[in-house]
Amino acid sequence: MGTFNPDTQLILDQPLLKVPNELSRKNFKTTQRNVEHTRDNILNGIKNAAAPFEDSVSALDTMIAKMEGLKRKLSECHAEEVALQKASRARIEHINSLHSMQAVTDVKYDEWSKVRLNRLLVDYLLRSGYGDSAQALAKAENIEDLVDIKAFMQCEKIRTNLEQAKPQEALAWCQDNKQALKKMNSDLEFELRLQQYIEMIRTRQPSKLLDAAMHARKYLATSNSESATRAAALLAFPPGTPIEPYRALYSHERWNHLSSLFLRTHHDLLSLPARPALHVALSAGLSALKTPSCHSSHLSSSSNANTSSGTSVCPICSTELNELARSVPYANHTKSIVENDPVVLPNGRIYGRTRLMEFQSKMPALPEGRVRDPSEPDVIFDIYQVKKVYIS
Amino acid sequence: MDEILKAHERLEKKDNLAKSVEEKFKDKPLPFESNDALASHPSLINRAIAMHLLREGHFDVAATFIKEANNNPPTSPERTMKDAPDMAQDSQVQSNARKAWEMDFSPSADMSMALHSQFQEMYSILNELRVHHNLDPAIEWARQHSQVLDARGSNLEYDLCRLQYLTLFRTHGPLAAVTYARNTFGKFHRRYEGQTLRLSGALAFIPNLGTSPYAADLSGPAETNTYSIASAAFTAEFCALLQLSSASPLLTAVTAGCIALPTLLKLSHIQQTRRTSWTTESELPVEIPLPTGYSFHSIFVCPVSKEQSTDSNPPMMLPCGHVVARDSMNQLSRGTRFKCPYCPIESHPKDAKKIYF
Repeated sequence: MGTFNPDTQLILDQPLLKVPNELSRKNFKTTQRNVEHTRDNILNGIKNAAAPFEDSVSALDTMIAKMEGLKRKLSECHAEEVALQKASRARIEHINSLHSMQAVTDVKYDEWSKVRLNRLLVDYLLRSGYGDSAQALAKAENIEDLVDIKAFMQCEKIRTNLEQAKPQEALAWCQDNKQALKKMNSDLEFELRLQQYIEMIRTRQPSKLLDAAMHARKYLATSNSESATRAAALLAFPPGTPIEPYRALYSHERWNHLSSLFLRTHHDLLSLPARPALHVALSAGLSALKTPSCHSSHLSSSSNANTSSGTSVCPICSTELNELARSVPYANHTKSIVENDPVVLPNGRIYGRTRLMEFQSKMPALPEGRVRDPSEPDVIFDIYQVKKVYIS
Repeated sequence: MDEILKAHERLEKKDNLAKSVEEKFKDKPLPFESNDALASHPSLINRAIAMHLLREGHFDVAATFIKEANNNPPTSPERTMKDAPDMAQDSQVQSNARKAWEMDFSPSADMSMALHSQFQEMYSILNELRVHHNLDPAIEWARQHSQVLDARGSNLEYDLCRLQYLTLFRTHGPLAAVTYARNTFGKFHRRYEGQTLRLSGALAFIPNLGTSPYAADLSGPAETNTYSIASAAFTAEFCALLQLSSASPLLTAVTAGCIALPTLLKLSHIQQTRRTSWTTESELPVEIPLPTGYSFHSIFVCPVSKEQSTDSNPPMMLPCGHVVARDSMNQLSRGTRFKCPYCPIESHPKDAKKIYF
């Protein structure tokens, strides 16, 4: 075991700090936009106020209303910021507590690891769309500051709406994150607008077609020339056409594609990994713990549920993980790990001599010179049949 | 306007934090390999989580989760064309996994109800034990299951009764202890004769217990520590009777995984830069240093081939007591008598004996 390095424990935990960071950046941008927007309005209002008395009063009234609106919005942003800061602080403290530990055998590390497991579970539940369970678990474990329930719930809502062919919320989201999306070169908004256009054409009503043309001029012509041309050509093909790529454009599968595109974009924007961290940690752990005995057809003498002596039941052999571990490779070992002073029974099972003898003392006594097999207590041998075995 | 200024101030501080966060995680890509072995088994993961929640005592959360998962069964992630050949086999695995979930956790399943009530029982007993230091429910449970426990070679019932005896002695004086001993210890007579005699005998020395040979027998139960040890022993036995490990496997596996990750990350980095790949798919290419508490099985590595034994290549004990893997033995002997690689004794492969760890 090398020295304990807290940084290596954080490999999976980048989103822990990055997400509140990104959210607070976004919150600031919203604040800024609000302030600038109101400022422009007020400056205009000042010009209008330099008018005859009646007009100037009404102009002042609108200005006051605008300012009050701004105040309300800012206090919303402020509340959001306070919550984010609180979450950030809790997360930093959570991570910092790792630095007070000396080794992974530390009791405190076990506690920390429990919190981490719960965080990973909440993250997994949120990603699978089990929002209620995630909330319940976070509440029960009191880790609400350490998980991003709000962000995921919003994301999940937009995503399911897209699957049900409702793009409005996704478009609003694009609007909120316009700058960031531009920086990422995301074509999410274009794809959404294209889908709206396709839906208008699908109706084949003349008035809708006119709308579609306007829509295309406004949103589609500006970028992505190849797709835009294709969209224009789509006018010539009725829905149900067998000709590619137009058949694919009309396909309802596109909504699912949009929904997963949105999910990817959303996670990229918040620096969230595409896959749940639970998968990564769990598959690494399954591999590290798995031994050939875990899926062996023979009863393992060194660890099984039939005897209370020896080590506890192996987690890979336990019902929860056994099936799951089938697909991962087993751990590499270059040295045998066996109990001290191993002996072999006539049926081929190996036990440490001390453990074998301890087991005998706990069982109803046998005549002198007889021993039981701890894995099958009804199987009894003569002690002279127990042979020493050499394992190197 | 003040608020705007404040917002700006906050932002500057925030910017520093943002920078240091970025700095901290620079050149540390997240270890998300493209081949995620678990992504195709969402039902099995859900099953593991449901069992984990139950065994941790989160009955409400578990109920919510089971309901949500039943209403909204997991869908397998998008597949690319190159996976097509595996599809048939994969969908077979998938449907098996779903069956496993349905068997255990569909609304009509007995399994979830059974697990639920069992763990509920466990937690109510543990609560009495830990918080109220009340041993009775635990002893009652151990008595009900004494046959199975005895067959496993477990001391649980005796240990609990011994603790009860000592507690009575401390709180109610020797008389209560004697009465208790008379009523209870009889059934332990066969297995624990020496120990029960010592416990009863110790009472005779009460006036000068400290100097008597029985001093060690009657000390101990004061600290709460004893109760947590008893709780741990009880939990282990309770879970073992359900064929489950006593600590949550999910917790153990995830913790081990996080300890293993740095090594695995380094490995995948090396594989990418050298463009090499590992030939045996069933075994990890590197040894992962885990603390001793994380090894659960004995492991046999053949001293000749340095390979771990498996069902198809089991360890064979030669008549001299040395052990090699069967493949190695066959190579050494080529069907005739051969010399043990560790000692001068010669033997025939047919005299070698298959052994089990």
